[in-house]
Amino acid sequence: MPNIEQLVRDSFVDVLNEPDLQSGGLNIDRDMADEYGLTSLNKILLITSICDEAQIDLRHFTEHDLADMRTLREVIDAMSRASRARLVS
Amino acid sequence: MQSLINRLVSRRPKPGFRISFNRLDGATSLDLEVLDDLAERAAAYLRAIGIGPSDRIGLLAKNCLEWVVLDLAALKIKAVTAGFEAGKFAITPDLLKDYGLKVLFTDQASDVPNVRPIGTLLEALPPAAATRAKPVRYSADDVTTIKFTSGSTGRPKGLGACVGSIESSLHAVQEMFSHGAGDKLFVFLPLSLLQQRYWIYSALLFGHDVAVSTYEAAFAALRREQPTVVMGVPAFYEMLKKEIDGKARRRAGVWGDRAALREAAKHALGPNVRYLWTGSAPANPTMLRFFEDCGVPIFEGYGMNETCIVTKNHPGAWKPGSVGRVVHGKQVLIGPDGTISVRSDHPVNTRYMYCAPGDSERMFAPDGTVRTGDLGHIDEDGFLFIHGRADDVIVLENGKKIIVRPMEEHMKANPAIQECVIFCVSQSHLIAVASPARRPVDEGAIVRQLSLTNSSFGPDEQIKRVVVADDPFTIENGLLTSQYKPKRQQILEKYRSEINRPHGGYHA
Repeated sequence: MPNIEQLVRDSFVDVLNEPDLQSGGLNIDRDMADEYGLTSLNKILLITSICDEAQIDLRHFTEHDLADMRTLREVIDAMSRASRARLVS
Repeated sequence: MQSLINRLVSRRPKPGFRISFNRLDGATSLDLEVLDDLAERAAAYLRAIGIGPSDRIGLLAKNCLEWVVLDLAALKIKAVTAGFEAGKFAITPDLLKDYGLKVLFTDQASDVPNVRPIGTLLEALPPAAATRAKPVRYSADDVTTIKFTSGSTGRPKGLGACVGSIESSLHAVQEMFSHGAGDKLFVFLPLSLLQQRYWIYSALLFGHDVAVSTYEAAFAALRREQPTVVMGVPAFYEMLKKEIDGKARRRAGVWGDRAALREAAKHALGPNVRYLWTGSAPANPTMLRFFEDCGVPIFEGYGMNETCIVTKNHPGAWKPGSVGRVVHGKQVLIGPDGTISVRSDHPVNTRYMYCAPGDSERMFAPDGTVRTGDLGHIDEDGFLFIHGRADDVIVLENGKKIIVRPMEEHMKANPAIQECVIFCVSQSHLIAVASPARRPVDEGAIVRQLSLTNSSFGPDEQIKRVVVADDPFTIENGLLTSQYKPKRQQILEKYRSEINRPHGGYHA
């Protein structure tokens, strides 16, 4: 099973592509939009990119689920659940 | 010129081409001939519920098969569609009344009379009839749909789109890009934007595949569908650029490795892309160059709702920094002050259907020529270059005219700045309002960028201060249009006190 938290952190840094932003320094409990300026388009790309890297089927999620992911921790939790479901199935 | 819309409503599409619809939870694909059959049955359904020629059908839903079926069905019975963007319009009795809608189809829950769920449309369709109804006939000035402008201020303006202008644009695009067998066009922007429906009409008329996606599924669908052409806007490509750049850097360990960039671009866009289409808003030259470096041509064009496509770079005629040559059927007139007006053989219309008093007269000359409000020039090879908006020209007290867009673009080159809009206080000082790319605000980076921008422009083009916005400009907080353009007036209103305060913001 991939290290989901590290993957989420790396993907987040990739999506924002800020030279000074380090994945280890991210606060995973802060609102991604307020804290880091993540736009709705950014978020779609982030989720898509994580699913792609972790080989998680995007069909695990709905448009509503995406709207509910506001912090990196919520993304990590949702991805971990989906990853476990994939391994079980 | 052959009437494409009459051909669309009267002939079956060429066999062998497909349309697909992508959502987060999966995709549906069907043959274009099957799509046409569904549209024929939907036309019978619309007739059965009392919809006839000139009646108006509202559509307010995410991109889906039913949206396309209803649009084509409306064309087949000469009903007029009105595509509403979710978020911009709420479903109320007044919406139906104000726009004269006989029925509205939506994917939102609603108990408003004459509103029907779009999701159950296919179940409600009658079986295919043994013979098809006699096709309707269109003339060039018939209106097929109402377009809504994503204007910077106030209520969206409504504009009836004439058949002649739709056909003229379809012909022009086909002449430049020759979409055909082997092509798959990718559409993810809302179908409420008429131009996004062009690519479906194009598939039916010229024979190629088309992949439609919801906005949310766009990135995943790109990889799944592996299109040859992506129909996007600058904000979307900026996102892709960041992703590709970041991935390439992580894999190669350094920034800007050409091979890693090409590999990452291929991964993000699929292996088949022959070009990317961008329009609707000005593209940052850095972004355009990036995709060229990735080995993916990207073609910028120029046009607005009121003119449709006016100019377009394309594989046969392309010049960096320009928005392309003028397409057939259009004429660009440059005024003595550099303002651009557009004359069309087949205008979209000659006035708005819905607008505030005076809006039509301001936009349209009596002969239908559109005063775009943009500034530009045409070079010796016939390529149009856009300098900015006439509204963006600031006249200083010394009489010097400043075009602020290049300065705003220069400020935005810094990753700490998401957006930048420049205002002028009392005709003497230029003040920038910058929306931070992230929190905490990187004040040092913004001030450094301010100095860098000032050193790159002339003595009259010096930004005295930069006010940092509380939050990023977004569509949701009303400071960006749905096409990601800053709403200058709203930004000014929100930050007026900081702009006017002599020591507000950061100084150069």
